[in-house]
Amino acid sequence: MQPKNISMRSLTRQSSGTGKWLKCFLFFILFIATPFYLLAEPPAGATEAQGEGLFNAKCKSCHYLTAQKNTGPGLYGYRERVPNEEWLYKWIRNPQGMIKSGDAYANELWAAYKPTLMTAFGTLTDVEIGSILIYLDNNTVQAEEVVAKDPKPTGGGDPQEGESDATSLIIWLGALALVFYVVIKVLGLVKTSLINLDRTGKGLKPKEDISHIRSAINWLANNKKYAALIVLVIVSVGATNGWYALKGVAVYQGYAPEQPIKFSHKIHAGQNAVECVYCHHAAEKGKSAGIPSVNVCMNCHVAIPEGSLYGKEEIAKIYKAAGWDNENQRYTGETEPIKWVKIHNLPDFAYFNHSQHVVVGKQKCQTCHGEVEKMEVLAQHSELTMGWCINCHRETKVTMEDDNEYYQGIKEDLMIKHRDLGLQEFTVEQIGGLECAKCHY
Amino acid sequence: MSTTKRYWQSIQQLESDPDFIASAEKEFPEELPVEDFLNNSDLDATSTNRRDFLKFLGFSVGAATLAACETPVIKSIPYVVKPYEVIPGVPNHYATSYSDGIDYSSVLVRTREGRPIFIRGNRESKITGGGLNARINSSVLSLYDGNRLRGPQIGGADADWNALDVQVREKLRAVNAKGGTIRVLSHSLLSPSTRKLIQQMGSHFGGSMVDDSAAEEGAELSTGAGVDFKHVAYDAVSYSAMIEANEKSFGRAVIPSYHFENAKVVVGIGADFIANWLLPVTNSHGFGKTRKPDREWMSRHYQFETNLSLTGANSDFRGAIKPSEVGAVVTRFYNAITGASLPAGTIEDENDIEKKIARAASELRENPGHSLIVCDSNDPNVQVLVNAINAKLKSYGSTIDLDNPTSIRQARDSKVKELIGEMKSGKVDALVIYGSNPVYSMPKSWGFEEALSKVGYKVSMASYVDETSILCDAIAPDHHFLESWNDHESVKGHYSICQPTISKLFDTRQAQESFLSWMGKADTDFYTYIRDEWKNNLMPQSDANGFFEFWNKCVHDGVFVGDHAEPTEVVFQGDVAQAAKAATSIKGGEWEVQLYMKAGAGEGTHAANPWLQELPDPVSRVTWDNYITMNPSDMAELGLNIKIAEKTPAHLGKVIVGDQEVELPVYPIPGQRRKTVGVAVGYGRKHVGKIGEIGKNVFPLMQEVAGSLSMALFDAKVEKSEGTYPMASLQTHSTMMGRKIINETDMETYKNEPASVPGAQGQFQGWNQKITLKDAYGQDKTTEELNLWDDHAIGLGHRWGMAIDLNTCFGCGACVTACAAENNIPVVGKDEIRRTRSMFWMRIDRYFTSDATKEEDGYVAMETPSVYPDVTFQPVMCQHCNHAPCETVCPVAATTHSDEGLNQMTYNRCVGTRYCANNCPYKVRRFNWFNYMGYAKFKDINPSQDTLGRMVLNPDVVVRSRGVMEKCSMCVQRIQAAKLQAKKEKRKVTDEMLNAACSDSCPTDAIAFGDVNDPESAVYKWSKDARSYHLLEEIGVQPNIWYQTKIRNRTKEENMPTRKKDEAAAEV
Repeated sequence: MQPKNISMRSLTRQSSGTGKWLKCFLFFILFIATPFYLLAEPPAGATEAQGEGLFNAKCKSCHYLTAQKNTGPGLYGYRERVPNEEWLYKWIRNPQGMIKSGDAYANELWAAYKPTLMTAFGTLTDVEIGSILIYLDNNTVQAEEVVAKDPKPTGGGDPQEGESDATSLIIWLGALALVFYVVIKVLGLVKTSLINLDRTGKGLKPKEDISHIRSAINWLANNKKYAALIVLVIVSVGATNGWYALKGVAVYQGYAPEQPIKFSHKIHAGQNAVECVYCHHAAEKGKSAGIPSVNVCMNCHVAIPEGSLYGKEEIAKIYKAAGWDNENQRYTGETEPIKWVKIHNLPDFAYFNHSQHVVVGKQKCQTCHGEVEKMEVLAQHSELTMGWCINCHRETKVTMEDDNEYYQGIKEDLMIKHRDLGLQEFTVEQIGGLECAKCHY
Repeated sequence: MSTTKRYWQSIQQLESDPDFIASAEKEFPEELPVEDFLNNSDLDATSTNRRDFLKFLGFSVGAATLAACETPVIKSIPYVVKPYEVIPGVPNHYATSYSDGIDYSSVLVRTREGRPIFIRGNRESKITGGGLNARINSSVLSLYDGNRLRGPQIGGADADWNALDVQVREKLRAVNAKGGTIRVLSHSLLSPSTRKLIQQMGSHFGGSMVDDSAAEEGAELSTGAGVDFKHVAYDAVSYSAMIEANEKSFGRAVIPSYHFENAKVVVGIGADFIANWLLPVTNSHGFGKTRKPDREWMSRHYQFETNLSLTGANSDFRGAIKPSEVGAVVTRFYNAITGASLPAGTIEDENDIEKKIARAASELRENPGHSLIVCDSNDPNVQVLVNAINAKLKSYGSTIDLDNPTSIRQARDSKVKELIGEMKSGKVDALVIYGSNPVYSMPKSWGFEEALSKVGYKVSMASYVDETSILCDAIAPDHHFLESWNDHESVKGHYSICQPTISKLFDTRQAQESFLSWMGKADTDFYTYIRDEWKNNLMPQSDANGFFEFWNKCVHDGVFVGDHAEPTEVVFQGDVAQAAKAATSIKGGEWEVQLYMKAGAGEGTHAANPWLQELPDPVSRVTWDNYITMNPSDMAELGLNIKIAEKTPAHLGKVIVGDQEVELPVYPIPGQRRKTVGVAVGYGRKHVGKIGEIGKNVFPLMQEVAGSLSMALFDAKVEKSEGTYPMASLQTHSTMMGRKIINETDMETYKNEPASVPGAQGQFQGWNQKITLKDAYGQDKTTEELNLWDDHAIGLGHRWGMAIDLNTCFGCGACVTACAAENNIPVVGKDEIRRTRSMFWMRIDRYFTSDATKEEDGYVAMETPSVYPDVTFQPVMCQHCNHAPCETVCPVAATTHSDEGLNQMTYNRCVGTRYCANNCPYKVRRFNWFNYMGYAKFKDINPSQDTLGRMVLNPDVVVRSRGVMEKCSMCVQRIQAAKLQAKKEKRKVTDEMLNAACSDSCPTDAIAFGDVNDPESAVYKWSKDARSYHLLEEIGVQPNIWYQTKIRNRTKEENMPTRKKDEAAAEV
């Protein structure tokens, strides 16, 4: 700012004789200064990749990359709309402050989107915001083909398809079995008639007509070795099935109870690609991942009263819980917590910490919870048995970053401990992850 | 071994009682109560026959099987609007402070999802330095006490606040109109804002009454001539004489603050300053600092007292005196130190008392400015003499700070008596009782109950229906301190904030807000009031930029140090001759009684707290009762049972003082002055739930001495009475006899002799001899070398360990209750403790000495106890042996070893064979005999039986079920949390990140906890110290717990056991 002002002042004071030289100087100064205002250089270290990650984690749930409005404005052409880039940095860090400070464009936005206010991201650094802007500059488009916007799953949907396949297979097999039975029966009758005919021909009495069971017993009595084999097979199959049935007691894999609100992870985490930790934010901080409080739902749904799947009905339940009067766009204060049904239940005597696995172990949520982003109704994906935990602890390698002071020394100690195997990398088991008091206390 | 002294855990053990020995050999003395069950006559009364029983059995098995297959539906209910600071599963800590007029500490409260679950000390505090005691950390449980009042009451019936306010205002207005008398009776208030508020209340009612709310209601404004309003402080245990004596001696009617950390020589006369006297947490924190033998100097502590107090038990020299001899003892000190020759009365020269006084006095004289003499006598004359001695010793300005007095114990007995006089004469029209329970705690001779009946209108702020509030016209229940805003000024210039950590649980209201409401300022909350006070008075004393910054910092830190004076020397102006004459004129009767306060029950305010009832008394190790303490030699003379055990109950005795008597069981305490008895106050409460009713109330026995209330009763009769009484003591819980259990030596030996002399036979083997065993070739080998097992890989990675300094462990028990709170340890009640089924994961063993030696007297003589023994304390928890005997015998591998050195106990794998407890040499494993959370027997005892009491449970630690073994886990949940934090923050685990519940709460930092493989850690340094040793090292289990040798600050000669054959002969 300083050099520009000086040159302006000097321009007015000087006669036209020196004008040419001054003009050159002015142009030079403008050339230098312009990028700071119009095309500011992104801060050093900002990358598009980082920007993509940050955008997905923090912005995507409210902003589309197109011109289309979501909870917040579409970001296509954002640079033309905002006063300058500096404004953007300020706004992202403290929108409320901007509005209060009386900034014109900020208040314009506030008027347009009231009462939704953008979440403040006060902790984002210059580099991080720079990265997001690079990502936006390279990826915003005016409009996008909406891929796979299929509001209601029809008969062609994958789960139903699988089911009907199975059903028709059973019907076909049943029909086939019936045909076989009829053929065998008929052949049996033919055989008996022929034998009897033969016997009558030889002057013998026709064969006694005995029941099937009787004949089977007769057969077994005459073929004791086969009988023993059959009994053995029955007993072993029974015992095996019994054993697995017992092992399955209190294992609720696939448990998908009906929830008070028909919340679709498929739409939120799948189609809209909201990051898991946007709602389950405690997963990175503490023991429990946390079921989001209603105010988290309201972050977006204050502006989305109608869903693609169930219309207004389900979202109205959120409004009821949050005490939101959608018609008058205000909170009534009459709130009522939502009583979700807990799906993943570990026994009290097992201690599990999400942040240990998500932050330190860098596990994806899907490792244990399955492809949640494809689940219309959330179901328990894993067994959640101790054997299942242990297997993973046996197989998973621990990432020990070099910059993590915690692992310094410990890694060397482990290399000494497992020197027979000459290991450089260690599984969870090898760092003590199978010891009882890691989970039971 | 350093000394040839032997310690015993109990008198029974000393005397080799055959019953005791038989029972001691068994891990569980009790057989399963099968006979009891089968003999139960209720069984015959039922009509169920065998076939029906089998049908029921079959049906229930079937039903249970079916039910087990059904998926339980568990609801998960998130917040509607999650508070910003709450993250489910992550604890928050809030700084607040505790004060009930007895104890004070600045504390941090850990909350989970908004529930306070654990209280630890706040290390920011200059007064308490991160310490607390059992009464303070157990107070979190009383928050969830279902016996608390759920709302206001008028005339014993539930009412609403509006009705109560209307009634109180009306009554006060009426008093105001006629120009009557209003009195506020409270415990000593540490809160400057509350004191000011009560003053304002005085001026409000004192002048013409302007009541805005009254105007709104259309009532006439009072034009009364003004009322006579006064605030009277009253403490059940009175320190009135100290204030009076300071007024006489220095012209200042205050109680000074004491700095034990500056005292090289401490003489305590009766004052149990570690557990009870004045600010016990501050005292023990300061005193603890001086008890490390390796610093420049270690303090020397003399204690002269009647009962064996916790302080006396920790002294270097202890003299037992009768209560009536206190004056004579103090005068002797005065004479010896000043060279005066005042008539010093007579004392019986028992246990070399004259010699001990002379030694203590000469040492005090040699350390002017670094010595301190404190006395708990409530005789102003004695306190004047003590002041004179301290002045002569130049204690003022260094160990005593008269310029920055404390605001605890401000009650003046004369003023309380004056109030009672007014009440009796019917002069008092309205009485507000706040924070005290005078009907329970005043001596009968004062007749408070009668006086109360003559008061026009009485309103109590008690949280419970108690002895006093039940007699009041209205009760306006106060919040628990964890629900309140408050401020405290424990010592002048040292402020602390008390902030709520939970919303109010019941329909209670903070007392101060009630006051505000009655003053017609219902719209002002006390939070705003305190903020204004701090803004106007304290902020100018800080260098903060603006109030927001100042206030936030104060609330965050919990403490604020404002203007305070530099301590100065003061000039003594009292009349010593007169004081000495009066002090020595007291004559004792045949028996004398010293009432005392217990580490758990205190003044009885905590009587309903089951953790504190179950906490064993540090000295007697008795739980759930008060009793008469008596020297065993006196008990033998009276024919009382000394060998108290489950099947040999205690005999009852009777103490008669004047026209009052109390009948209680008699319990033997060696060290108790002969011909004296002690009884603890704080028991025998009424109306506060079944737990509080245990024991007998002895407050009514108190007498006046020289105008103030005395807990020493000089003339009493003690006799045996009919009947027996079962008592529950933890002292015969387990036996660790005759070996290097507590290693102890004297200062001289410690400084001059080697710790261990290898191969020394029959002579001095060093004061911390390394234990060796002979191998098959007759070679001396250490237990590490004689190794039968494969070692765990504990040398690599972490190795968690603990080191306990027996020098600074005073046995106060703060760690025991902290452990119970942290680890969800069930309360099991008196009956179970009697069956040796205590569930405490850590215990503090207490050992007495005997004078006899093996060489000269043989084992039999060694079984004779000392009449006045030395006492030592030793916290024992799971030793986390690297070669753990428990691990090898578990048939289901439920107890295993981790590579981090922990002995892990897996409850879900345990099938309850109890082999491990059998095989544990330290007897630290506890078996869940019952489902304490549900079984009817524990209904009135275990707080977790109701949903409210369950809120205190730590959600990170599982609640164990019936039939499994449990034990100290070294707070593995905290270890795991610290490791996780370190990994996330990419740094090493350091001492600051990690503390076990016990080491967290120790006021003297006697427990070091951390990673033994980290050379930076305290526990590593302690473990390498010459003083460190393992408990029962000879059995080679290689524990991860180290103990630091106890060093008594005596000379070698003084520490020698002296044989007193004549005394021994006088014994049984």
